[in-house]
Amino acid sequence: MNADEWLRTLAAELHQRRVAADAARHVVVEAATHLREDGRDPWLVLGPPGEYAAAISESIGPAPRPRPGPVRLHAQGITKRYGRHTVLRDASLTVRAGQIAAVVGANGCGKSTFLRICAGLVSLDTGQVTVTGRLGYCPQQGGTADFLLPDEHFVLVGAGRGVARGPARRAGRTAARQLGWEAGGDVLTRHLSGGTRQKLNLTMSTLSEPDVLLLDEPYQGFDHGTYVNFWDQLARLRDQGKAIVVVTHLLNQLDRVDLVLDLTAATRGERA
Amino acid sequence: MDSDRRGQWLRGVLDLCVLAALRDGESYGYQLAQALDVAGVGPIQGGTLYPVLLRLQRTGLVTAQWREGTSGPARKYYRLTEHGRATLRQDGSAWLAFVAPVNTIVTKGVDG
Repeated sequence: MNADEWLRTLAAELHQRRVAADAARHVVVEAATHLREDGRDPWLVLGPPGEYAAAISESIGPAPRPRPGPVRLHAQGITKRYGRHTVLRDASLTVRAGQIAAVVGANGCGKSTFLRICAGLVSLDTGQVTVTGRLGYCPQQGGTADFLLPDEHFVLVGAGRGVARGPARRAGRTAARQLGWEAGGDVLTRHLSGGTRQKLNLTMSTLSEPDVLLLDEPYQGFDHGTYVNFWDQLARLRDQGKAIVVVTHLLNQLDRVDLVLDLTAATRGERA
Repeated sequence: MDSDRRGQWLRGVLDLCVLAALRDGESYGYQLAQALDVAGVGPIQGGTLYPVLLRLQRTGLVTAQWREGTSGPARKYYRLTEHGRATLRQDGSAWLAFVAPVNTIVTKGVDG
């Protein structure tokens, strides 16, 4: 690894650790100057880039998180019945720009229904949902077209927003890369693995640059690396000021979210 | 010499060494590393110097300024603040008060 590669890796590691872009640039330039004057192997002088980035980020701390912005999603007193079966009772959630909310609860407690109500895909019996801004929704499955290429999905989403084919394709591939996926292949969507189809779904839901992003366990079938990328990507979208709601049954990522709505309590004892 | 142990000592006192090295005027990273090496503190391994400089900057003990050299690249020059100077005096005295009895005890052990 030469000095340039070492510095590139350092920059990536600093970004990964959410060191503020400005501070990171200074650190990289300073390291570059030092290496040029020293002339020896960067591994000898400054150590492994990952460890160096870790020491740096510990010294200056992560970028200060922007304060949550205005309310983007306000769901108040949502109740939903299917026949005599009450799926949701009086569920409420308020999410601001720059926040991630997790919707958790046991299987069948109405997590997906709650999200679909917020998305306007399912009617509610009582309550009210107010969305301020553009809405993006990523379903648990489906939502992709078997006989289209990933690129064609991006073009389709772009067309809906008046974006030309080329830029739409590029935007899609760039967004896919954030999940560690190279989307530019010529494999029909029906031949993609379930996990890759979900990456396509997730990519599409971010392409419309939504203010509110609703995600229904979109990481099913992701391998571990992609799963980590997924949460990093959510953190980036939050830092861009998006309001994010993610349905999850995995509780080990709850330290990465700002709000938790547990629907188990909202429906307890309400089974008909 | 056990380099792990030496590293541990250095970690505890490198910030003081850096503050002391800046006492008589500003300097930049590479020059500081050279100065500490020449003074016998040893080569600063693993890029421990810049994290220390960043911490000193964050806590207001030094200020930093980017400047183009007359020849060569832009360098980040570090300079002691008043707060840094006061800390150097206070923590430097505390260090000396700490090592004096350590030296006495260890000297007895080594010479005895």
